[in-house]
Amino acid sequence: MNNTNKPNIIILIFSILLGIFMAGQFKLNIPTLTPVTLKSIQMTKNEIIALNNEIEDLNKLLQEKEEQINILEKITSGDENIIDVLNNELKKYKNLAGFLEVEGPGIIIMMQDNMAEGAFGEEFELDIIHDIDVLRIINDLRGAGAEAISVNGQRVLAISEIKCGGPIIRVNGKSLGAPFVIKAIGDPKLLTAAINAPTTYGYALKHIDQVYIESTTKDNIKIPAYNGRFNFRYAKPIREGD
Amino acid sequence: MFFALIGIAIGLAIGLILPFTYNTAYSLYISVAILACLDSVFGGIKANLENKFDTSIFISGFFGNAFLAAFLAYIGDRLGVPLYYAAIFTFGGRIFENFASIRRILLNKRKSKTKVEK
Repeated sequence: MNNTNKPNIIILIFSILLGIFMAGQFKLNIPTLTPVTLKSIQMTKNEIIALNNEIEDLNKLLQEKEEQINILEKITSGDENIIDVLNNELKKYKNLAGFLEVEGPGIIIMMQDNMAEGAFGEEFELDIIHDIDVLRIINDLRGAGAEAISVNGQRVLAISEIKCGGPIIRVNGKSLGAPFVIKAIGDPKLLTAAINAPTTYGYALKHIDQVYIESTTKDNIKIPAYNGRFNFRYAKPIREGD
Repeated sequence: MFFALIGIAIGLAIGLILPFTYNTAYSLYISVAILACLDSVFGGIKANLENKFDTSIFISGFFGNAFLAAFLAYIGDRLGVPLYYAAIFTFGGRIFENFASIRRILLNKRKSKTKVEK
């Protein structure tokens, strides 16, 4: 009797142990566990990084808003005049739009047609500065973080055109002739690299087309304001909530 | 068979009444270990019905399989390979195999009994 029941009793005891473990597992109430693979870990990491960046941006926004509130509080308490504040803001936006003269560190680029004796009579297309050359140089400068750019005293804005006009180029509706002096305000090192580093368009112009292109960095460059007038005739802002 | 079911029921009741819990981080390892234990219990029932039950084999299998399964799951986690699938497939498959043998043995017993009664 004892001998036949012994296995049953042992199974009973261990089943109880198993039941206790299972109960512990049930009590945890785990929502479905998905297998963790390297890919999912990487994806989660990327998500976390993106979220952290978003949080940083939001914090910056919060700081800006707090500063605005501070200004508004100063106005209400009478420390500052509302007209002064609005004037400051107007100046700021004018500056951002390119309607103010600005100064700062940057580079000056001289571009001149190839004047070498041998150059004449050959492929003259390659020896002169075209609108596209200026356009690409300016694009490279923008890519390197230039904040203000001018060509021969004409401020280049988002609305500025750079067009071929035969022997001259047209910028902001004004005719400009070679040599072209491009001024750009920004990090001088980055701007210089954007023009002179191998594989850039400026490098190719200088070494393959052999046109004259020279850049010098300066601590203080003055770039004039945009001197035209323009209004948006077709583009209208979208009001939030419409 | 019935002893095991009764045992699991009692164990569940005890486990739910006793206020013990463990870290959620280990739940994967313990669930794999539970699977291994379940397999051992089924194996034990089968061996008992075949009159081949050995206490030491049963107990060593019960704990050994559980630890091996949990360890495999842990190593898999470290290596980034879901190794616990190995434990799930092996023990899951064996549970079904054991259950099939148990069923056959029980049905055969019933058949022989009815024959005797006739």
